[in-house]
Amino acid sequence: MDISSLKAWEMREKLLKKEISAVEILESHLNRIDSVEKDINAFITIDRDNALKASKGVDEKLARGESLGVLAGLPIGLKDNIMTKDLRTTCASKMLENFIPPFDATVVRNIRREDGIILGKTNLDEFAMGGSTETSYFGNTRNPRNLDVVPGGSSGGSAAGVAANELAISLGSDTGGSVRQPASYCGIVGIKPTYGMVSRYGVMPMSNSLDQVGQFGRDVKDAFLMLKGVSGFDPLDGTSSKKSGINFDLEGGSLKGLRIALPVEYRDLKVTGDEKIREMFDNTLKVFEREGAIIDYVSLPHLKYALETYYIISTAEVSTNLSRLDGIRYGYRTENYETLDDLYTMSRTEAFGEEAKRRIMMGTYALSAGYQDEHYKKALKVRTLIKNDYDKTFKDYDVILSLTSPILPFPFDSIINSPVDMYKADLYTVPVNLAGLCAMSMPMGEIDGLPVGMQLTGNRFQESKIIRAGYAFEKVVK
Amino acid sequence: MGYKTLVGLEIHVELMTKNKIFCNCKNEFGGEVNTHVCPVCLGLPGALPVMDKEALEFGIRAGLAFNSEIEKEVRTDRKNYFYPDLTKGYQISQADLPLCKGGHLDIELEDGVKRINLERIHIEEDTGKQLHTEDGTSLLDFNRCGVPLIEIVTKPDINSAEEARLFLEKLRSTLKYIGISDVRMEEGSLRCDVNINVVDDEKKIKSKITEVKNLNSFRSAVKAIETEEKRHMELLDKGENTDNETRRWDENLNETVIMRRKFGASDYRFANEGDLPSIKIEDSWLEEIRNNLPELPHEKKVRFISEYSLGQYEAEVLTGSKELAAFFEETYKYVNDSKLLSNWIMGDVLRRLKEEDMEIEALHIQPKDLADLILLVKDGKINNNTGKKVLKDMFDSGDSPEKIVKEQGLIQISDEGALEEIVEKILDANPQSIEDFKNGKDRAIGFLMGQIMKETKGKANPQMVNKMLLAKINLR
Amino acid sequence: MITKDEVNHIASIAKLKIKEDEILLFTEKFDQVMSFVQKIKEVDTDNVEPTYKINDEDGFLKENGESQTLTREEVLRNTVDTQYGYFKILKVVE
Repeated sequence: MDISSLKAWEMREKLLKKEISAVEILESHLNRIDSVEKDINAFITIDRDNALKASKGVDEKLARGESLGVLAGLPIGLKDNIMTKDLRTTCASKMLENFIPPFDATVVRNIRREDGIILGKTNLDEFAMGGSTETSYFGNTRNPRNLDVVPGGSSGGSAAGVAANELAISLGSDTGGSVRQPASYCGIVGIKPTYGMVSRYGVMPMSNSLDQVGQFGRDVKDAFLMLKGVSGFDPLDGTSSKKSGINFDLEGGSLKGLRIALPVEYRDLKVTGDEKIREMFDNTLKVFEREGAIIDYVSLPHLKYALETYYIISTAEVSTNLSRLDGIRYGYRTENYETLDDLYTMSRTEAFGEEAKRRIMMGTYALSAGYQDEHYKKALKVRTLIKNDYDKTFKDYDVILSLTSPILPFPFDSIINSPVDMYKADLYTVPVNLAGLCAMSMPMGEIDGLPVGMQLTGNRFQESKIIRAGYAFEKVVK
Repeated sequence: MGYKTLVGLEIHVELMTKNKIFCNCKNEFGGEVNTHVCPVCLGLPGALPVMDKEALEFGIRAGLAFNSEIEKEVRTDRKNYFYPDLTKGYQISQADLPLCKGGHLDIELEDGVKRINLERIHIEEDTGKQLHTEDGTSLLDFNRCGVPLIEIVTKPDINSAEEARLFLEKLRSTLKYIGISDVRMEEGSLRCDVNINVVDDEKKIKSKITEVKNLNSFRSAVKAIETEEKRHMELLDKGENTDNETRRWDENLNETVIMRRKFGASDYRFANEGDLPSIKIEDSWLEEIRNNLPELPHEKKVRFISEYSLGQYEAEVLTGSKELAAFFEETYKYVNDSKLLSNWIMGDVLRRLKEEDMEIEALHIQPKDLADLILLVKDGKINNNTGKKVLKDMFDSGDSPEKIVKEQGLIQISDEGALEEIVEKILDANPQSIEDFKNGKDRAIGFLMGQIMKETKGKANPQMVNKMLLAKINLR
Repeated sequence: MITKDEVNHIASIAKLKIKEDEILLFTEKFDQVMSFVQKIKEVDTDNVEPTYKINDEDGFLKENGESQTLTREEVLRNTVDTQYGYFKILKVVE
């Protein structure tokens, strides 16, 4: 039996039944890595020794009859912007190429507490800035479903690792779609939890009012397992919610009577070449209807300002979040400096990639004197209006259904899709972060051998609704 | 008419909380370099701030003590700039919505009370420390990074160096009173910057505001204001003007020296601190803090004046610190003579404390012991001079006055018979003095008194001796 | 229209060195930001509060919790130069 091709929840069940050992689970994944990683490049760092030690530890615990955690024995990958104690964490940047954090992110502590096995740190767009994992200092990650196309981004490594069976489950981060879009492109499930549901302590921020740590799994149950293992209130994170926590199970959700809203603004949004995807989505809607769901079109009028609002807010926040990277206390320090200004400027210029520099410049501009008041605060007000649109919709509906991305995973160095289309594509995922909602992308089908995902969006702290609906849908189409 | 000086002060006060403001590293002065540092205050990737309850409470106490309006929804902002002692590339501070708005502090001038209004008080974090070595490198220690600060900004209501000094003294004592800081300028827990310019309303000219930093003591703040206002006036007199610049006080040169031009041009790109959602201050908590505020210096002074029938000046001195006032009141329980007590405390006790550069808290004389000493003198058991000597011994040994008096046999000689004998003896030995006194030289009494004191080793009751001398001389 | 000077000014406060041939790119990018700003300007936001609390909860305070204090070795571990337990950089010229 090839353990690494099982679902994570199946591996855990077999482990608890003592049919397989944690070490065997790990070795199966290591073998998989040995055979495909050179083609995929999902990892920046693989920590074989400590993973083996941890797996042995789980086996010993089991032998002693101790109870095991929710993530017992599962080889887990962490996007390399999540701090792991004594294990190199680079954010895919030259700036942190040799950075060894002296502390664990809270989600990492939670994984260890739940007996999860940290197998390695996965590839991403540098500092999570990108949608294709093409800006990493450590090379591109390839889509396991088709090596010529991107896995999506910025959490490309975590998605590819799970899709390629190199990892059982993994964590990414999502600011405007960076978990959902790669999940869609790699044909797996990706969850972006409600803002405040999962701790951000120890996760290098991109845009702190938009970021959440997201979960990848081969199916809904796997992604749900990952979420259960890491969610919860964290006193070290001021934005962590007291309402955080998973207190529902997957069973008991039904598509019958499920009230689904479809934003009119998405129906009317056209992106070049998206006809086949739209057709697939319409067929998927028919499945829901057949199962008894009630589907209506609703308008979220302020959605049309979501992209501009998102860019103003995220670039402004990103620029200050990267200010601490200056080569003084850690990270890359230039050798050519004579003045203090040189020390800062040369270190940052030499170590940051082009996209990172670009976003810092834009953000600094967005916040500079004379402009800050005007447009940053204005964006925050429009954000409120977008949030209100969603609140209103969720009064009468359980979930919002949409595409995750209107474009298929594209080839590397792609100029096939125009910048305008790439930009429009974000409109499906970005508003979710603006309103702090939860959303899950799950496979809907394939076009030309490439995966296509659909997105279920739920109101804040309504993970139960979207995950149960997704689980029910999965069962129906199986 | 002449020039009017306008001074505004910006005072940074380190709060003596147990922990730092955004993390739980210890807030402790003088620890081993870089040993009170964690991912949060070191600015490691992903580390996040959480507001400290005690720091917020201390800030609120300050606002209440200075009659400010307390903001019920506490928001913080990022002040963005790059400097080696700033670990995140931004300082978490408060921009347009400070914790406390307005407020005031009254100072006592010769011609009455003057109100110095405050612009605002806000809460923020301190930075690390930099040391410059001789070989051209800078060394950085982040123990202080993240210590909570409040920044108190006054309106330009201060019009002289002396007023500034009075204000700073009052500010300092109030802050100590409410127990939020040990306000030691030498240790850096109180830092003061001065903003100053001069105006001539008649001639309608005014100088450009300059900022003076690097003031290590109240004395240097006073001197800086004096020299700076003079510099402004001299320039205006010449038809020139000052520049909006930041200057540094140089203790050695005894003048302000330019540090950098064009202050205020920095673009701090203030932005809401997204990692700290705003905190609501419940009315109930605010009331609790208000009720737990100790009696403030001014209130105490007013009470001392009425309750103990003290004069303005005495009340001012005795309520100068919470501990001194408490010492007075505790001692008063045993002595019940406020005039006498205030003389003793303001005289010998405070003088000795000043000599030793000690605060009243360090005094190891118990209130009861001081009271006993005062009563010994009041009841005539020892004379005043002896009393002062005993006090000195009490300071040094910590023994009770009874013990000291007993051991050294200092009880005043008030026995008439014994005194008479001695007085007669001295008069017999000094006929010239008697003659001098009778011829109008009053000083002769003093000389005779001195001889008697010498004879009795200072233990003679001076009042009785004086009476006796006068009586007996007249008989001779 | 954003000027070259403005781009250089932004680069200097962001502590980045921008090459001569990149300046044009940035003037375009900044213009793009301004076009976003123009777009949202048309939204009526009278009486609308800015969103500061994403999950609609007030901030919480910490009270004597566990500290995350590191050992000095951990603090200094990732830097390039230290001396006597301090971080070391060249002298700051004021």
